[in-house]
Amino acid sequence: MNGTDKLVRRVVTAGVLAAIAILLGATRLGFIPVPTPAGNATIMHVPAILGGIMEGPAVGGVIGLVFGIFSFFQATIPMFKDPFVAILPRIFIGITAWLAYVALRRLNEYLALVVSAAVGTLTNTVLVLGMAVWRGYMAPGVALTVGITHGLPEIVVAVIIVVAVVSAWKGLARRRHARL
Amino acid sequence: MQDFALLRHITIGQYLPGDSFVHRMDPRAKITEVLLLSLALTVNTSYLANILLLALCLGLIRAAGISLRYVLSGVRPALPFIIALSLMQLAFYGNPSVTSRLPVITFLRWGPIFITSSGLQLVLVSLARFVDLMILASILTNTTPLAHLAYGLEDMLKPFGRLGVPAQEISLIFILALRFVPILAEQLETLAKAQASRGADIGAGGRWRFWRTARAMLVLIVPLFLDAFRRAEELIVAMEARCYAGGRGRTRLVQLRMGRADGIAILICALLAVGFIWFRKSFPF
Repeated sequence: MNGTDKLVRRVVTAGVLAAIAILLGATRLGFIPVPTPAGNATIMHVPAILGGIMEGPAVGGVIGLVFGIFSFFQATIPMFKDPFVAILPRIFIGITAWLAYVALRRLNEYLALVVSAAVGTLTNTVLVLGMAVWRGYMAPGVALTVGITHGLPEIVVAVIIVVAVVSAWKGLARRRHARL
Repeated sequence: MQDFALLRHITIGQYLPGDSFVHRMDPRAKITEVLLLSLALTVNTSYLANILLLALCLGLIRAAGISLRYVLSGVRPALPFIIALSLMQLAFYGNPSVTSRLPVITFLRWGPIFITSSGLQLVLVSLARFVDLMILASILTNTTPLAHLAYGLEDMLKPFGRLGVPAQEISLIFILALRFVPILAEQLETLAKAQASRGADIGAGGRWRFWRTARAMLVLIVPLFLDAFRRAEELIVAMEARCYAGGRGRTRLVQLRMGRADGIAILICALLAVGFIWFRKSFPF
């Protein structure tokens, strides 16, 4: 694989995964209803995690950026109409997920996937809520409650999706090569 | 189960054709102005500044020829949540760091509930700011075709190219993402129908049965990702076959032109933004 090859792959992967992030938000499919005041757990950040794992921090970061910009424009609650809450934290989702994946990949591929999905989700939860508290939209206690009631289900769902998608995709890719 | 036609729900940044002054402006000018005014909005916490900014935004939306009702129509489903959040903010956030010249009056202090005038100000100001940003974002996306926004973004990032920012690639990613949304939405619809015909209970479960809802969702989302990757592979081959080699030296069909009016509009917005930021602590109330 030469340089241009990689560039095309990165650009296209980032575009397609960003499209999924937008789609999950626009169809409300990315929101899983939970019985808490804030209402929904999200999986809209999963494309950013996948981008980070599969194509590196730049792709993960850009997908997070698109997701953030979209959630900023689409926001229907005051908190997410603040770019510091909606956009900035999202850039880091793919980057931390990539770091976790690269650090653990040699140990065990599955462990790396699980941990990086959890780390990416935590990045989203902690940074967004942290920014919300810092900008004065939420009291720290409320943010902590939201973080726990949402963060945990979000981590579990993100881990399941990431492991399922990456292992299925890698399996498919391997089979295709075998046939060639 | 009733929502198979997913495409119909997508109204992000719907471009509304028109011929107003705002429609005819250069996208770069519009992006710059929205950024400047948003910055002014996010640092001002006094009542007066927010009233002035709200008036300014209402004037702008009039100039763009968009109806306020249309802009705010997306808020309606979220209204209960907004109210609940505002009440929580009001009840538990008695001592916020709002820069105000008004004396702080404590309305109620009872256990964890602590309601003060500065807490009230924080709530009202964040609601006003929300409406303002809603309007600004709508002005940008409703009066500019998405491709032009992407071109505008690309041209604005170009100067950073020397620092290693791949302007053309970033704008291509945006265009690809927006182009792929309807394609993947159609795929999602097909998947939903396929799973439902096999007895999957999509959308069931509700608020109290989180795991059921999540599991029903997985049978849609995992295939959706795999399909997206397959389409990405096809597009990679297609782009390589056409010798795409990055943004360097590429030319474009649409060339953006800044007019005098664009320059003047940017200047006015810049002056307003600087004024609002500079004098943010001098507003009387």
